[in-house]
Amino acid sequence: MTSKNENTKADTIIGLLFLLPYLILWLLFAIAPVGYGFYISLHKWNPIGQSPFVGFDNYTQLFSNDRFWNALENTFIYAAWAIPLILALGLAFALLLKSAKMSTVAIIEGALFFPYLLNVSVVGILWAFLLDPNVGILPYYIRAIGFSPPDFLNSPAYVLPTIAFVSAWWLCGYRMIVFRAGLNAIPDELYESSALDGAGPIRQFFSITLPLMKPSILFAAILTLVAGLCTLGQVLIMTNGGPGTSSEVLALFMYRTAFESFNFGQAAAIGFMLFAIVFVISIALVKFLGLKSELG
Amino acid sequence: MSTASGPIKSILKYTFYYGLALIWIIPIIWMAITAVKPTPEVMSFTPNWLPSAITFEHFRDLLDKRPFFLWLANSFQVSLLATVITIVVTTFAAYSLARMKWRGRNVVFAILLSAMFIPWEINSIPLFFIVKDLGLLNTFWAVALPLSALPVSLFLLRQFFINIPTELEDAARIDGCGHLRILWHIIIPVSLPAYGALAIFIFVFSWNEFFWSLVALQRSGVRTMPIGLKTLVAASDIQYDLMMAGSFMATLPALIIFLVLRRHVISGISMAGVQR
Repeated sequence: MTSKNENTKADTIIGLLFLLPYLILWLLFAIAPVGYGFYISLHKWNPIGQSPFVGFDNYTQLFSNDRFWNALENTFIYAAWAIPLILALGLAFALLLKSAKMSTVAIIEGALFFPYLLNVSVVGILWAFLLDPNVGILPYYIRAIGFSPPDFLNSPAYVLPTIAFVSAWWLCGYRMIVFRAGLNAIPDELYESSALDGAGPIRQFFSITLPLMKPSILFAAILTLVAGLCTLGQVLIMTNGGPGTSSEVLALFMYRTAFESFNFGQAAAIGFMLFAIVFVISIALVKFLGLKSELG
Repeated sequence: MSTASGPIKSILKYTFYYGLALIWIIPIIWMAITAVKPTPEVMSFTPNWLPSAITFEHFRDLLDKRPFFLWLANSFQVSLLATVITIVVTTFAAYSLARMKWRGRNVVFAILLSAMFIPWEINSIPLFFIVKDLGLLNTFWAVALPLSALPVSLFLLRQFFINIPTELEDAARIDGCGHLRILWHIIIPVSLPAYGALAIFIFVFSWNEFFWSLVALQRSGVRTMPIGLKTLVAASDIQYDLMMAGSFMATLPALIIFLVLRRHVISGISMAGVQR
Protein backbone atom coordinates (compact mmCIF):
# COMPACT_ATOMS: atom_id res chain seq x y z
CA MET A 1 0.00 0.00 0.00
CA THR A 2 3.03 2.29 -0.05
CA SER A 3 2.13 4.15 -3.19
CA LYS A 4 4.98 6.36 -4.31
CA ASN A 5 2.55 7.73 -6.83
CA GLU A 6 1.40 11.21 -5.99
CA ASN A 7 -1.40 11.54 -8.47
CA THR A 8 -4.83 12.23 -7.07
CA LYS A 9 -6.45 9.11 -8.43
CA ALA A 10 -4.37 6.83 -6.22
CA ASP A 11 -4.97 9.23 -3.36
CA THR A 12 -8.69 9.06 -3.93
CA ILE A 13 -8.73 5.28 -3.80
CA ILE A 14 -6.54 5.08 -0.71
CA GLY A 15 -8.46 7.95 0.85
CA LEU A 16 -11.77 6.17 0.44
CA LEU A 17 -10.21 2.93 1.66
CA PHE A 18 -9.03 4.66 4.83
CA LEU A 19 -12.48 6.14 5.31
CA LEU A 20 -14.25 2.84 4.76
CA PRO A 21 -14.24 1.29 8.27
CA TYR A 22 -15.62 4.46 9.85
CA LEU A 23 -18.08 4.88 7.01
CA ILE A 24 -19.43 1.35 7.45
CA LEU A 25 -20.00 1.82 11.18
CA TRP A 26 -21.52 5.25 10.52
CA LEU A 27 -23.89 3.93 7.86
CA LEU A 28 -24.85 0.82 9.76
CA PHE A 29 -25.37 2.34 13.20
CA ALA A 30 -26.22 6.00 12.61
CA ILE A 31 -27.87 6.36 9.20
CA ALA A 32 -29.45 3.03 8.29
CA PRO A 33 -31.48 2.95 11.54
CA VAL A 34 -33.25 6.16 10.53
CA GLY A 35 -34.50 4.65 7.27
CA TYR A 36 -35.11 1.26 8.84
CA GLY A 37 -36.99 2.92 11.67
CA PHE A 38 -39.25 4.65 9.17
CA TYR A 39 -39.79 1.33 7.42
CA ILE A 40 -40.70 -0.40 10.70
CA SER A 41 -43.07 2.44 11.56
CA LEU A 42 -45.12 1.65 8.44
CA HIS A 43 -45.77 -1.91 9.61
CA LYS A 44 -47.58 -3.72 12.34
CA TRP A 45 -44.17 -5.00 13.32
CA ASN A 46 -43.91 -8.55 14.51
CA PRO A 47 -40.35 -9.58 15.39
CA ILE A 48 -40.98 -13.31 14.87
CA GLY A 49 -43.79 -13.60 12.28
CA GLN A 50 -45.43 -11.70 9.46
CA SER A 51 -45.37 -7.92 9.67
CA PRO A 52 -48.26 -6.52 7.61
CA PHE A 53 -47.84 -3.14 5.95
CA VAL A 54 -50.21 -0.61 7.51
CA GLY A 55 -49.20 2.66 5.88
CA PHE A 56 -49.36 5.59 8.23
CA ASP A 57 -51.72 3.89 10.69
CA ASN A 58 -49.14 4.00 13.46
CA TYR A 59 -48.84 7.74 13.03
CA THR A 60 -52.58 8.47 12.87
CA GLN A 61 -53.08 6.31 15.95
CA LEU A 62 -50.46 8.32 17.77
CA PHE A 63 -52.01 11.61 16.74
CA SER A 64 -55.29 10.56 18.27
CA ASN A 65 -53.60 9.29 21.43
CA ASP A 66 -53.58 11.76 24.33
CA ARG A 67 -50.61 10.00 25.85
CA PHE A 68 -48.51 10.94 22.81
CA TRP A 69 -49.44 14.63 23.03
CA ASN A 70 -48.81 14.55 26.75
CA ALA A 71 -45.34 13.06 26.17
CA LEU A 72 -44.59 15.65 23.48
CA GLU A 73 -45.62 18.46 25.80
CA ASN A 74 -43.58 17.01 28.68
CA THR A 75 -40.54 16.75 26.43
CA PHE A 76 -40.71 20.43 25.58
CA ILE A 77 -41.47 21.51 29.15
CA TYR A 78 -38.44 19.57 30.34
CA ALA A 79 -36.26 21.02 27.57
CA ALA A 80 -37.49 24.54 28.28
CA TRP A 81 -36.28 24.19 31.87
CA ALA A 82 -33.19 22.07 31.42
CA ILE A 83 -31.47 23.78 28.48
CA PRO A 84 -31.38 27.36 29.86
CA LEU A 85 -30.39 26.00 33.29
CA ILE A 86 -27.52 23.90 31.95
CA LEU A 87 -26.19 26.68 29.74
CA ALA A 88 -26.63 29.49 32.26
CA LEU A 89 -24.99 27.54 35.09
CA GLY A 90 -22.19 26.37 32.81
CA LEU A 91 -21.48 29.91 31.64
CA ALA A 92 -21.82 31.41 35.12
CA PHE A 93 -19.37 28.89 36.57
CA ALA A 94 -16.92 29.44 33.72
CA LEU A 95 -17.03 33.21 34.30
CA LEU A 96 -16.68 32.79 38.06
CA LEU A 97 -13.63 30.58 37.64
CA LYS A 98 -12.08 32.99 35.15
CA SER A 99 -12.40 35.90 37.54
CA ALA A 100 -11.36 33.87 40.62
CA LYS A 101 -7.65 34.65 40.31
CA MET A 102 -6.76 32.19 43.03
CA SER A 103 -4.15 29.47 43.04
CA THR A 104 -6.58 26.75 44.12
CA VAL A 105 -9.09 27.39 41.36
CA ALA A 106 -8.48 23.88 40.04
CA ILE A 107 -10.04 22.42 43.19
CA ILE A 108 -13.19 24.50 42.71
CA GLU A 109 -13.28 23.54 39.06
CA GLY A 110 -12.89 19.86 39.92
CA ALA A 111 -15.74 19.98 42.43
CA LEU A 112 -18.09 21.71 40.02
CA PHE A 113 -17.19 19.30 37.23
CA PHE A 114 -17.19 16.04 39.14
CA PRO A 115 -20.97 15.28 39.02
CA TYR A 116 -20.63 14.95 35.24
CA LEU A 117 -18.60 11.77 35.80
CA LEU A 118 -21.44 10.04 37.66
CA ASN A 119 -23.62 7.73 35.64
CA VAL A 120 -27.27 8.51 35.22
CA SER A 121 -28.41 5.73 37.56
CA VAL A 122 -26.32 7.12 40.39
CA VAL A 123 -27.62 10.64 39.71
CA GLY A 124 -31.23 9.48 39.65
CA ILE A 125 -30.98 7.24 42.72
CA LEU A 126 -29.08 9.87 44.71
CA TRP A 127 -31.51 12.68 43.97
CA ALA A 128 -34.57 10.53 44.57
CA PHE A 129 -33.08 10.01 48.05
CA LEU A 130 -32.21 13.68 48.58
CA LEU A 131 -35.71 14.73 47.53
CA ASP A 132 -37.60 12.00 49.37
CA PRO A 133 -40.50 13.71 51.19
CA ASN A 134 -39.82 11.75 54.40
CA VAL A 135 -36.10 11.11 54.73
CA GLY A 136 -34.68 13.49 52.10
CA ILE A 137 -32.37 16.23 53.34
CA LEU A 138 -33.55 18.85 50.87
CA PRO A 139 -37.20 18.91 52.04
CA TYR A 140 -35.89 18.72 55.62
CA TYR A 141 -33.79 21.86 55.33
CA ILE A 142 -36.52 23.69 53.42
CA ARG A 143 -38.83 22.91 56.35
CA ALA A 144 -36.09 23.93 58.78
CA ILE A 145 -35.94 27.45 57.36
CA GLY A 146 -39.69 27.77 57.66
CA PHE A 147 -41.09 26.89 54.24
CA SER A 148 -43.25 23.96 53.28
CA PRO A 149 -41.55 22.05 50.50
CA PRO A 150 -43.55 20.60 47.62
CA ASP A 151 -43.38 16.88 47.07
CA PHE A 152 -40.87 17.45 44.29
CA LEU A 153 -41.03 14.16 42.43
CA ASN A 154 -44.65 13.27 43.21
CA SER A 155 -46.31 16.49 42.19
CA PRO A 156 -47.36 16.85 38.54
CA ALA A 157 -46.51 20.56 38.56
CA TYR A 158 -43.04 20.21 40.05
CA VAL A 159 -41.75 16.93 38.69
CA LEU A 160 -40.39 18.10 35.31
CA PRO A 161 -38.68 21.28 36.57
CA THR A 162 -37.19 19.20 39.41
CA ILE A 163 -35.74 16.65 37.00
CA ALA A 164 -34.43 19.56 34.90
CA PHE A 165 -32.64 20.99 37.96
CA VAL A 166 -31.10 17.62 38.71
CA SER A 167 -29.95 17.35 35.08
CA ALA A 168 -28.40 20.80 35.36
CA TRP A 169 -26.52 19.75 38.50
CA TRP A 170 -25.27 16.69 36.66
CA LEU A 171 -24.40 18.18 33.26
CA CYS A 172 -23.50 21.85 33.63
CA GLY A 173 -19.92 21.04 34.63
CA TYR A 174 -19.35 19.77 31.14
CA ARG A 175 -20.55 23.03 29.58
CA MET A 176 -18.46 24.90 32.12
CA ILE A 177 -15.31 23.20 30.83
CA VAL A 178 -16.23 23.91 27.23
CA PHE A 179 -17.07 27.56 27.93
CA ARG A 180 -13.88 27.96 29.93
CA ALA A 181 -11.86 26.94 26.88
CA GLY A 182 -13.79 29.53 24.88
CA LEU A 183 -13.26 32.26 27.47
CA ASN A 184 -9.54 31.56 27.66
CA ALA A 185 -9.32 32.05 23.90
CA ILE A 186 -10.47 35.68 24.24
CA PRO A 187 -7.34 37.87 24.27
CA ASP A 188 -6.74 39.68 27.56
CA GLU A 189 -5.82 42.84 25.66
CA LEU A 190 -9.48 43.32 24.74
CA TYR A 191 -10.41 43.53 28.42
CA GLU A 192 -7.41 45.66 29.28
CA SER A 193 -8.06 48.23 26.58
CA SER A 194 -11.76 48.43 27.38
CA ALA A 195 -10.90 48.85 31.06
CA LEU A 196 -8.77 51.82 30.06
CA ASP A 197 -11.84 53.19 28.31
CA GLY A 198 -13.63 52.92 31.63
CA ALA A 199 -15.75 49.83 30.96
CA GLY A 200 -16.81 47.93 34.10
CA PRO A 201 -17.14 44.14 34.32
CA ILE A 202 -20.81 44.21 33.34
CA ARG A 203 -20.21 46.33 30.25
CA GLN A 204 -17.25 44.12 29.38
CA PHE A 205 -19.47 41.05 29.63
CA PHE A 206 -22.03 42.46 27.21
CA SER A 207 -19.62 44.18 24.83
CA ILE A 208 -16.76 41.66 24.72
CA THR A 209 -17.50 38.29 26.32
CA LEU A 210 -21.01 37.67 25.07
CA PRO A 211 -20.48 38.72 21.42
CA LEU A 212 -17.27 36.67 21.15
CA MET A 213 -18.81 33.67 22.89
CA LYS A 214 -22.07 33.87 20.98
CA PRO A 215 -21.29 31.23 18.31
CA SER A 216 -20.06 28.68 20.83
CA ILE A 217 -22.95 29.40 23.21
CA LEU A 218 -25.48 28.96 20.41
CA PHE A 219 -23.78 25.80 19.27
CA ALA A 220 -23.77 24.44 22.80
CA ALA A 221 -27.45 25.36 22.99
CA ILE A 222 -28.23 23.27 19.92
CA LEU A 223 -26.33 20.26 21.22
CA THR A 224 -27.94 20.58 24.65
CA LEU A 225 -31.30 20.77 22.91
CA VAL A 226 -30.56 17.63 20.91
CA ALA A 227 -29.67 15.74 24.09
CA GLY A 228 -32.47 17.32 26.11
CA LEU A 229 -35.23 16.33 23.70
CA CYS A 230 -34.07 12.72 23.90
CA THR A 231 -33.73 12.51 27.68
CA LEU A 232 -34.75 9.22 29.18
CA GLY A 233 -32.39 7.98 31.89
CA GLN A 234 -33.05 10.59 34.59
CA VAL A 235 -36.81 10.25 34.18
CA LEU A 236 -36.77 6.47 34.07
CA ILE A 237 -34.77 6.22 37.29
CA MET A 238 -36.33 9.03 39.31
CA THR A 239 -40.03 8.81 38.50
CA ASN A 240 -40.52 6.20 35.76
CA GLY A 241 -42.76 8.79 34.10
CA GLY A 242 -44.87 9.42 37.17
CA PRO A 243 -46.85 10.55 38.98
CA GLY A 244 -49.28 9.08 36.44
CA THR A 245 -47.78 10.20 33.16
CA SER A 246 -46.80 13.71 34.30
CA SER A 247 -43.13 13.19 33.55
CA GLU A 248 -43.42 10.73 30.68
CA VAL A 249 -41.23 12.23 27.94
CA LEU A 250 -41.21 11.04 24.33
CA ALA A 251 -38.11 8.87 24.65
CA LEU A 252 -39.61 7.09 27.66
CA PHE A 253 -42.96 6.70 25.90
CA MET A 254 -41.09 5.17 22.95
CA TYR A 255 -39.13 2.80 25.20
CA ARG A 256 -42.28 1.64 26.98
CA THR A 257 -44.27 1.24 23.78
CA ALA A 258 -41.53 -1.04 22.47
CA PHE A 259 -40.38 -3.01 25.49
CA GLU A 260 -43.43 -2.98 27.73
CA SER A 261 -46.28 -3.04 25.20
CA PHE A 262 -44.16 -4.71 22.47
CA ASN A 263 -45.77 -2.45 19.88
CA PHE A 264 -42.59 -1.98 17.87
CA GLY A 265 -44.26 -0.35 14.85
CA GLN A 266 -45.71 2.41 16.97
CA ALA A 267 -42.50 2.83 18.96
CA ALA A 268 -40.58 3.23 15.70
CA ALA A 269 -43.10 5.88 14.66
CA ILE A 270 -42.43 7.79 17.89
CA GLY A 271 -38.71 7.43 17.32
CA PHE A 272 -38.95 8.66 13.75
CA MET A 273 -40.96 11.70 14.79
CA LEU A 274 -38.49 12.46 17.55
CA PHE A 275 -35.69 12.18 14.99
CA ALA A 276 -37.54 14.50 12.60
CA ILE A 277 -38.17 17.07 15.33
CA VAL A 278 -34.59 17.04 16.59
CA PHE A 279 -32.85 16.87 13.21
CA VAL A 280 -34.99 19.51 11.52
CA ILE A 281 -34.75 21.92 14.47
CA SER A 282 -30.99 21.56 14.80
CA ILE A 283 -30.14 21.76 11.10
CA ALA A 284 -32.48 24.75 10.75
CA LEU A 285 -30.83 26.46 13.73
CA VAL A 286 -27.32 25.80 12.42
CA LYS A 287 -28.30 27.29 9.05
CA PHE A 288 -30.39 30.11 10.46
CA LEU A 289 -27.83 31.19 13.03
CA GLY A 290 -25.00 30.86 10.55
CA LEU A 291 -22.98 28.42 12.62
CA LYS A 292 -21.45 26.49 9.74
CA SER A 293 -17.99 27.74 10.70
CA GLU A 294 -18.38 25.97 14.04
CA LEU A 295 -18.39 22.69 12.16
CA GLY A 296 -14.80 23.18 11.05
CA MET B 1 -10.69 42.57 39.81
CA SER B 2 -7.64 44.19 41.34
CA THR B 3 -5.20 42.08 43.30
CA ALA B 4 -4.77 44.78 45.91
CA SER B 5 -7.85 43.80 47.90
CA GLY B 6 -8.11 43.81 51.64
CA PRO B 7 -7.96 40.66 53.76
CA ILE B 8 -11.71 40.78 54.44
CA LYS B 9 -12.47 40.85 50.76
CA SER B 10 -10.13 37.97 50.20
CA ILE B 11 -11.73 35.93 53.01
CA LEU B 12 -15.15 36.62 51.53
CA LYS B 13 -13.93 35.53 48.14
CA TYR B 14 -12.50 32.26 49.41
CA THR B 15 -15.62 31.57 51.45
CA PHE B 16 -17.78 32.16 48.42
CA TYR B 17 -15.80 29.90 46.08
CA TYR B 18 -15.25 27.09 48.54
CA GLY B 19 -18.85 27.39 49.70
CA LEU B 20 -20.06 27.01 46.15
CA ALA B 21 -17.83 23.99 45.56
CA LEU B 22 -18.99 22.40 48.82
CA ILE B 23 -22.69 22.96 48.11
CA TRP B 24 -22.19 21.45 44.69
CA ILE B 25 -20.72 18.19 45.99
CA ILE B 26 -22.74 17.90 49.20
CA PRO B 27 -25.06 15.36 47.51
CA ILE B 28 -22.04 13.13 46.88
CA ILE B 29 -20.72 13.59 50.43
CA TRP B 30 -24.18 12.72 51.77
CA MET B 31 -24.19 9.62 49.60
CA ALA B 32 -20.85 8.50 51.04
CA ILE B 33 -21.96 9.14 54.64
CA THR B 34 -25.25 7.32 54.09
CA ALA B 35 -23.50 4.32 52.59
CA VAL B 36 -21.70 3.58 55.88
CA LYS B 37 -24.53 4.46 58.27
CA PRO B 38 -26.64 1.96 60.24
CA THR B 39 -30.00 1.48 58.54
CA PRO B 40 -32.20 3.15 61.20
CA GLU B 41 -30.17 6.33 60.82
CA VAL B 42 -30.51 6.18 57.03
CA MET B 43 -34.28 6.17 57.37
CA SER B 44 -34.30 8.81 60.09
CA PHE B 45 -36.43 11.90 59.54
CA THR B 46 -33.71 14.21 60.80
CA PRO B 47 -30.41 14.23 58.93
CA ASN B 48 -27.51 12.81 60.85
CA TRP B 49 -24.18 14.01 59.49
CA LEU B 50 -22.05 12.08 61.94
CA PRO B 51 -23.27 8.49 62.09
CA SER B 52 -23.18 6.87 65.53
CA ALA B 53 -21.29 3.92 64.05
CA ILE B 54 -19.64 3.08 60.78
CA THR B 55 -20.87 -0.10 59.16
CA PHE B 56 -20.04 -1.94 55.99
CA GLU B 57 -23.10 -4.18 56.12
CA HIS B 58 -24.74 -2.37 53.16
CA PHE B 59 -21.77 -3.14 50.95
CA ARG B 60 -21.77 -6.77 52.05
CA ASP B 61 -25.51 -6.90 51.51
CA LEU B 62 -25.15 -5.44 48.03
CA LEU B 63 -22.38 -7.84 47.04
CA ASP B 64 -24.49 -10.75 48.30
CA LYS B 65 -27.58 -9.74 46.40
CA ARG B 66 -26.19 -8.26 43.21
CA PRO B 67 -23.27 -9.20 40.90
CA PHE B 68 -21.64 -5.84 41.42
CA PHE B 69 -18.17 -6.82 40.25
CA LEU B 70 -19.63 -8.42 37.14
CA TRP B 71 -21.28 -5.09 36.27
CA LEU B 72 -17.98 -3.37 36.86
CA ALA B 73 -16.08 -5.80 34.64
CA ASN B 74 -18.75 -5.55 31.94
CA SER B 75 -18.66 -1.76 31.98
CA PHE B 76 -14.90 -1.87 31.74
CA GLN B 77 -14.97 -4.22 28.76
CA VAL B 78 -17.58 -2.20 26.88
CA SER B 79 -15.71 1.06 27.44
CA LEU B 80 -12.35 -0.41 26.53
CA LEU B 81 -13.73 -2.00 23.38
CA ALA B 82 -15.44 1.23 22.31
CA THR B 83 -12.29 3.25 22.97
CA VAL B 84 -10.01 0.92 21.01
CA ILE B 85 -12.35 0.62 18.01
CA THR B 86 -12.93 4.35 17.99
CA ILE B 87 -9.22 5.08 17.94
CA VAL B 88 -8.44 2.63 15.15
CA VAL B 89 -11.36 3.49 12.90
CA THR B 90 -11.23 7.24 13.46
CA THR B 91 -7.47 7.49 12.89
CA PHE B 92 -7.79 6.27 9.31
CA ALA B 93 -10.89 8.31 8.58
CA ALA B 94 -9.45 11.50 10.06
CA TYR B 95 -6.17 11.02 8.19
CA SER B 96 -8.05 10.56 4.96
CA LEU B 97 -10.18 13.65 5.52
CA ALA B 98 -7.45 15.88 6.89
CA ARG B 99 -4.23 14.94 5.12
CA MET B 100 -5.18 13.39 1.78
CA LYS B 101 -6.32 15.31 -1.22
CA TRP B 102 -9.31 13.76 -2.87
CA ARG B 103 -12.22 15.55 -4.36
CA GLY B 104 -15.31 15.94 -2.22
CA ARG B 105 -13.61 15.17 1.09
CA ASN B 106 -14.95 18.31 2.76
CA VAL B 107 -18.49 17.61 1.65
CA VAL B 108 -18.15 14.04 2.90
CA PHE B 109 -16.88 15.35 6.23
CA ALA B 110 -19.83 17.74 6.59
CA ILE B 111 -22.26 14.92 5.84
CA LEU B 112 -20.57 12.56 8.31
CA LEU B 113 -20.69 15.29 10.94
CA SER B 114 -24.39 15.95 10.47
CA ALA B 115 -25.05 12.67 12.30
CA MET B 116 -24.23 14.69 15.40
CA PHE B 117 -27.80 15.91 15.21
CA ILE B 118 -29.17 12.38 15.22
CA PRO B 119 -28.93 11.36 18.87
CA TRP B 120 -28.24 7.73 18.29
CA GLU B 121 -30.30 6.58 21.27
CA ILE B 122 -33.53 7.56 19.55
CA ASN B 123 -32.63 5.06 16.86
CA SER B 124 -32.83 2.37 19.50
CA ILE B 125 -35.87 0.53 18.05
CA PRO B 126 -34.46 -0.03 14.53
CA LEU B 127 -30.97 -0.41 15.98
CA PHE B 128 -32.30 -3.18 18.20
CA PHE B 129 -33.42 -5.17 15.15
CA ILE B 130 -30.24 -4.42 13.19
CA VAL B 131 -28.07 -5.59 16.06
CA LYS B 132 -30.32 -8.60 16.56
CA ASP B 133 -30.01 -9.57 12.89
CA LEU B 134 -26.24 -9.25 13.15
CA GLY B 135 -26.40 -11.67 16.08
CA LEU B 136 -24.83 -9.10 18.39
CA LEU B 137 -27.68 -8.65 20.86
CA ASN B 138 -26.52 -9.08 24.46
CA THR B 139 -22.87 -8.80 23.47
CA PHE B 140 -20.52 -5.93 24.27
CA TRP B 141 -20.08 -5.33 20.53
CA ALA B 142 -23.71 -4.20 20.40
CA VAL B 143 -22.83 -1.17 22.51
CA ALA B 144 -19.20 -0.63 21.52
CA LEU B 145 -19.66 -0.61 17.73
CA PRO B 146 -22.32 2.14 17.52
CA LEU B 147 -20.31 4.19 20.02
CA SER B 148 -17.27 3.96 17.76
CA ALA B 149 -18.82 6.08 15.01
CA LEU B 150 -19.62 9.16 17.06
CA PRO B 151 -19.05 12.22 14.84
CA VAL B 152 -17.37 14.03 17.73
CA SER B 153 -14.41 11.60 17.60
CA LEU B 154 -13.89 12.20 13.90
CA PHE B 155 -14.14 15.94 14.39
CA LEU B 156 -11.60 15.96 17.19
CA LEU B 157 -8.93 13.95 15.39
CA ARG B 158 -9.43 15.63 12.02
CA GLN B 159 -9.15 19.04 13.63
CA PHE B 160 -5.87 18.01 15.24
CA PHE B 161 -4.46 16.33 12.12
CA ILE B 162 -5.30 19.28 9.89
CA ASN B 163 -3.21 21.64 12.01
CA ILE B 164 -0.04 19.54 11.83
CA PRO B 165 2.51 21.34 9.60
CA THR B 166 3.13 19.59 6.29
CA GLU B 167 6.94 20.03 6.17
CA LEU B 168 7.80 16.76 7.90
CA GLU B 169 5.33 14.93 5.78
CA ASP B 170 6.67 16.43 2.56
CA ALA B 171 10.19 15.38 3.48
CA ALA B 172 8.98 11.89 4.25
CA ARG B 173 7.11 11.74 0.99
CA ILE B 174 10.27 12.65 -0.93
CA ASP B 175 11.97 9.79 0.88
CA GLY B 176 9.27 7.58 -0.57
CA CYS B 177 7.13 7.00 2.48
CA GLY B 178 3.58 5.87 1.85
CA HIS B 179 0.52 7.00 3.73
CA LEU B 180 0.67 4.20 6.28
CA ARG B 181 4.24 5.06 7.24
CA ILE B 182 3.52 8.79 7.35
CA LEU B 183 0.55 8.08 9.57
CA TRP B 184 2.47 5.77 11.87
CA HIS B 185 5.78 7.65 12.07
CA ILE B 186 4.71 11.29 11.81
CA ILE B 187 1.02 11.94 12.41
CA ILE B 188 0.29 9.60 15.32
CA PRO B 189 3.37 10.46 17.42
CA VAL B 190 2.64 14.20 17.35
CA SER B 191 -1.06 13.66 17.99
CA LEU B 192 -0.76 11.91 21.34
CA PRO B 193 -2.53 14.73 23.23
CA ALA B 194 -5.48 14.41 20.87
CA TYR B 195 -5.51 10.65 21.40
CA GLY B 196 -5.48 11.13 25.15
CA ALA B 197 -8.43 13.49 24.91
CA LEU B 198 -10.31 11.18 22.58
CA ALA B 199 -9.68 8.11 24.72
CA ILE B 200 -10.83 9.85 27.90
CA PHE B 201 -13.90 11.27 26.23
CA ILE B 202 -15.04 7.99 24.67
CA PHE B 203 -14.24 6.00 27.78
CA VAL B 204 -16.29 8.29 30.01
CA PHE B 205 -19.05 8.44 27.44
CA SER B 206 -19.32 4.64 27.13
CA TRP B 207 -18.85 4.11 30.87
CA ASN B 208 -21.98 6.18 31.50
CA GLU B 209 -24.01 5.13 28.47
CA PHE B 210 -27.51 4.19 29.54
CA PHE B 211 -30.38 4.31 27.06
CA TRP B 212 -29.01 2.05 24.34
CA SER B 213 -27.34 -0.34 26.79
CA LEU B 214 -30.72 -0.80 28.46
CA VAL B 215 -32.11 -1.98 25.13
CA ALA B 216 -29.14 -3.96 23.84
CA LEU B 217 -27.98 -5.65 27.05
CA GLN B 218 -31.10 -7.26 28.46
CA ARG B 219 -29.61 -10.51 29.66
CA SER B 220 -28.53 -10.19 33.29
CA GLY B 221 -25.02 -11.57 32.68
CA VAL B 222 -24.02 -8.72 30.34
CA ARG B 223 -25.44 -5.78 32.27
CA THR B 224 -23.16 -2.80 32.68
CA MET B 225 -22.93 -0.69 35.82
CA PRO B 226 -25.67 1.86 35.01
CA ILE B 227 -28.08 -0.87 33.92
CA GLY B 228 -27.25 -3.04 36.90
CA LEU B 229 -27.77 -0.21 39.36
CA LYS B 230 -31.18 0.38 37.86
CA THR B 231 -32.24 -3.03 39.20
CA LEU B 232 -31.88 -1.54 42.69
CA VAL B 233 -34.64 0.92 41.83
CA ALA B 234 -37.02 -1.66 40.43
CA ALA B 235 -37.45 -3.28 43.85
CA SER B 236 -40.87 -2.60 45.36
CA ASP B 237 -39.51 -1.54 48.74
CA ILE B 238 -37.14 1.41 48.68
CA GLN B 239 -33.83 0.41 50.26
CA TYR B 240 -31.90 3.66 50.37
CA ASP B 241 -29.07 2.10 52.38
CA LEU B 242 -28.44 -0.47 49.66
CA MET B 243 -28.93 2.11 46.92
CA MET B 244 -26.42 4.52 48.44
CA ALA B 245 -23.89 1.75 48.97
CA GLY B 246 -24.26 0.74 45.30
CA SER B 247 -24.09 4.32 44.08
CA PHE B 248 -21.05 5.01 46.19
CA MET B 249 -19.21 1.92 44.96
CA ALA B 250 -20.13 2.79 41.38
CA THR B 251 -18.75 6.29 41.89
CA LEU B 252 -15.51 5.19 43.52
CA PRO B 253 -13.62 4.28 40.31
CA ALA B 254 -14.53 7.60 38.73
CA LEU B 255 -13.52 9.43 41.89
CA ILE B 256 -10.14 7.73 42.15
CA ILE B 257 -9.36 8.22 38.46
CA PHE B 258 -10.45 11.84 38.68
CA LEU B 259 -8.29 12.55 41.70
CA VAL B 260 -5.26 11.06 39.96
CA LEU B 261 -5.82 12.28 36.42
CA ARG B 262 -7.94 15.40 36.99
CA ARG B 263 -5.89 17.60 34.68
CA HIS B 264 -6.00 15.12 31.84
CA VAL B 265 -9.69 14.39 32.25
CA ILE B 266 -10.60 18.07 32.17
CA SER B 267 -8.36 18.93 29.24
CA GLY B 268 -9.58 15.83 27.40
CA ILE B 269 -13.21 16.77 27.93
CA SER B 270 -12.38 20.32 26.97
CA MET B 271 -10.80 19.29 23.68
CA ALA B 272 -13.64 16.99 22.73
CA GLY B 273 -16.16 19.42 24.09
CA VAL B 274 -15.21 22.29 21.85
CA GLN B 275 -17.39 20.38 19.50
CA ARG B 276 -20.04 18.43 21.28
